[in-house]
Amino acid sequence: MTTFLTYTILGLVLGAVYSIAASGLVLTYNTSGIFNFAHGAQAMFGTFLYWQFQQWGWPAWLALVAVIGVVGPAMGAALHTVIMKGLRGTADVTKIIVTVAVLLGTVYLAQWVWDPDEARTVDMFFGTGAKISVGGVEVRYHELVCLAAAVAIAAGLRVLFTRTRAGVVMRGSVDDPDLLRLNGHDPERAAMLSWALGSTLAVTAGVLIVPISGGALDADQLTLLVIDAFAAAMFGRLRSIPRTFAGAMVLGLAANYVLAYLPSAGTFTGNLRVSLPMIILFVVLVVLPQDRLRGAAVRTRERYRPPTVRSAAVWGAVLIAGVYLYSLLLSDSGITTFALGMTFAIIALSLTVLTGYAGELNLAPLSFGAVATVVAFHFGVHGTGLDARLNVQGILLAVVAAALVGGLVALPALRLRGLYLALATLAFGEFLSNMVLRDTTEHKLFGIKFTLFPGGSLVVPPLRIGPLDLRDGTSSLMTATVLFALIGIGLAALRSSGYGRRLAAMKDSPAATAMLGQNLVRLKLSVFMISAAIAGLGGVLMASATGTVAQENFTFVGSLGLLMLVVVAGIGYISGALAGGLMAGVGSAVLVATFNDLALGHESMANVYTALGHLVLVMTALVGMGVGRNPSGFVHDIADSYRSLRGARPVLYGGGAVGAVLYVLAVTGVIGAWTFAIAALCVVMLLPVVGRMVMEERGSRETPLELAGVDEPYTDELRGKLDRALGLPAAHRPARPAPALRGEANAPA
Amino acid sequence: MTGTAAEAEVVPLLELAGVRAGYGAIEVLHGVDLALRPGSLLALLGPNGGGKSTAMRVCAGLHPATGGELRFAGRKVNGISAQDAAKLGVCSIPEGRGVFPNLTVRENLWAATGTGARLADLEEKAYGRFPILGKRRDQLAGSMSGGEQQMLALSRALGTDPAVLLLDELSMGLAPMIVTRMYDTVAELVEEGLSVLVAEQFARAVLPIADTAALMLNGRVVATGAPAEIEGRMAGDYLGG
Repeated sequence: MTTFLTYTILGLVLGAVYSIAASGLVLTYNTSGIFNFAHGAQAMFGTFLYWQFQQWGWPAWLALVAVIGVVGPAMGAALHTVIMKGLRGTADVTKIIVTVAVLLGTVYLAQWVWDPDEARTVDMFFGTGAKISVGGVEVRYHELVCLAAAVAIAAGLRVLFTRTRAGVVMRGSVDDPDLLRLNGHDPERAAMLSWALGSTLAVTAGVLIVPISGGALDADQLTLLVIDAFAAAMFGRLRSIPRTFAGAMVLGLAANYVLAYLPSAGTFTGNLRVSLPMIILFVVLVVLPQDRLRGAAVRTRERYRPPTVRSAAVWGAVLIAGVYLYSLLLSDSGITTFALGMTFAIIALSLTVLTGYAGELNLAPLSFGAVATVVAFHFGVHGTGLDARLNVQGILLAVVAAALVGGLVALPALRLRGLYLALATLAFGEFLSNMVLRDTTEHKLFGIKFTLFPGGSLVVPPLRIGPLDLRDGTSSLMTATVLFALIGIGLAALRSSGYGRRLAAMKDSPAATAMLGQNLVRLKLSVFMISAAIAGLGGVLMASATGTVAQENFTFVGSLGLLMLVVVAGIGYISGALAGGLMAGVGSAVLVATFNDLALGHESMANVYTALGHLVLVMTALVGMGVGRNPSGFVHDIADSYRSLRGARPVLYGGGAVGAVLYVLAVTGVIGAWTFAIAALCVVMLLPVVGRMVMEERGSRETPLELAGVDEPYTDELRGKLDRALGLPAAHRPARPAPALRGEANAPA
Repeated sequence: MTGTAAEAEVVPLLELAGVRAGYGAIEVLHGVDLALRPGSLLALLGPNGGGKSTAMRVCAGLHPATGGELRFAGRKVNGISAQDAAKLGVCSIPEGRGVFPNLTVRENLWAATGTGARLADLEEKAYGRFPILGKRRDQLAGSMSGGEQQMLALSRALGTDPAVLLLDELSMGLAPMIVTRMYDTVAELVEEGLSVLVAEQFARAVLPIADTAALMLNGRVVATGAPAEIEGRMAGDYLGG
């Protein structure tokens, strides 16, 4: 009985903190329509500051007042003003990516400021000794504070939303900000207030949860801890505060009962406890009724141009040739890194087809790679030691397994859309990461003994197909590149096929697609399986290029980072997948490693170089936050600027010549490989600018008709031209000069 | 334009003079002239795509004018924000349903108190005029019928005591009987001294109660005058004859 009571109270306390975190999520979602993935990161940052203030000798109460009264609101208001305000009218994926970028940026920043290798603890309020006894169970004051705060906050929010005008206005700002303006309110003020409040709730939850979950302060762990509160928020379908509160309590109790009553042998129970919130999140998502299909088409600011198969084939050949030429410049380690980046690019292609083409979201692409890796490891390796090789059958089996798991995940989630589907994939990814990739104990099933993830890491050997052995870097790189090109061409063909058009239709308006007689279930399921298969293939190649993989290679944060970079590059484009994947696999890793090497090599400048290394990471997150301004991605902009260069052949030839000269300099060793890469990138970026200058000198540009009235005065001559183009009025006014006051004439529409 | 000298002497409550506006690089209004006299109903007519809604959005402060002048009671107010316009007494009911679908009827009226009205007054007037709203006060606005939603939208004009009422496509998606009832209410408001600017594609709905009508084509007002006169011109202009 005492055990039961103890764990019940612990569960209620944990539930109380979940409830505080979840209600902050519900608050911001209800007032801005943005599901804030960075909620946990805000909690983390506030808690670190709380610790820092105490380090400076501030008393605990003052530090608490400072983080809850100042840091929390300021962080929320700043987030709204600088970033979230610009997200109206963007697709779900853009909104998610921007908050993910904030999450990553905050975590990187925290790890920069507070060295993760140093141990820090946060104490309970009133210390651990202050407690009372309830029915023989000791309850600490801190835990009482948690419970009281949760009840007060839930009640307060309920009152705010339904009993005060400010709360009603906040809710109205999601429905229709313009209408709110017409009613004499400022929707930005309402949204800012809600972000300030939401951020404060996050910080409160962070300060409360760290002591009850062990007291150690860790940026990643704390961020994920608050993400567990997503499940609670989903109980209330992101709307109802009372149901969120109840959901949080269920979550807290379940987590503690698992700990109390399941056998503690092996890794199973511990893993289950950790992944329980995600399992509950998945179940809640699938079981609770969700929004019906919206009738209207989704109008967003993202624009992608689908490629033709022919251009995809040409660019594929160019890519293979380019990568080969470039690999001649690289050292062996450079080639290995590059090959790793190319495998990430293949995983990124799975996002292009799923999100870019079909408009569905997968927040855990690396998890499907993990599934494939585990299968390939168990069924596709032959030989031992240095002679161990992956075989083709193993890879094919792994790809099929990934596709099947993709289908299994998608099947219950098929009714879900946008954010809900994204959260379901997130839940799956976390579940897999905790239950499978940490499952190091031996199981017995049908008399067969096996271990899913022996020793916590897998050694994945290189692939060998007949004479092609990927042991050496160049063949590994070229194989990955050729595979990328082939899949890319395949995707272009898919996109321009009837199936691809059906996907595009589903993305624009699921309701209209269903009304045209399309089977949405089959479409979603098939595209999910295709995407999972591609992610699986990329994952196996990635694992084999890495050599030894562990849970850390397939984390939620890694998946989100990849997704973010692909969106930044342009998720609707195959080239976007290439750029995003390379950035994820090579870009920041290489830069950070370079700066770390420099820091080791030059002790006097060590601080500067270490800082630069951190800055690179924070910068990538900043780039992600910029997605709100440019949701189609930078590949789209580059392609657009090159489109205007078509008429300027000398500029293109000039650019090609400069590139060739740079390459010759690099081959002959005059400039280094990285210098060449950076210089070549500069040429690519600057060429359209140069081209525009050249073309403007020629002055042959005519104002397009739709710009009349803006770039040029809207003249009567122009109006006549428009009318003639429309074939309407010329018969009315033969030989008459354009009328001075068209309004007076009996003009037709 | 066809306004008489007598009309010109009264300072219009709301006036557009040579207003230009557009979306991005595309200009939609190429110099619009309109004047709403106090206590009158001005019907802004014309086919789809003529710029009526943009003109209404400029009046409400939702869309900036790139040229010309927007005047409230003779004062130039170019660049005014929608919330400031609302506080100056412009009550604008936008195209579609001017309600918050995820708020209840009562909460919708509560949100309408942003210009200083009292919730109790608003509720009293709204439920007095449209008893059905009283019955549905705790229902989500989005779950009501189109007519009921439009009643709720119009209720904002009843209780907030505005100087000018802007109505954009009140008839959209509504049954003819309800449209008639809506415009009856509008006519009563005009009787009580409210000045109303109505943009309407279906001239027949509003012309009977209008004091003045203006015809808008291709981003400019091509004719202003008595409703009957404009009605006569419209058939020809619509058909390009």
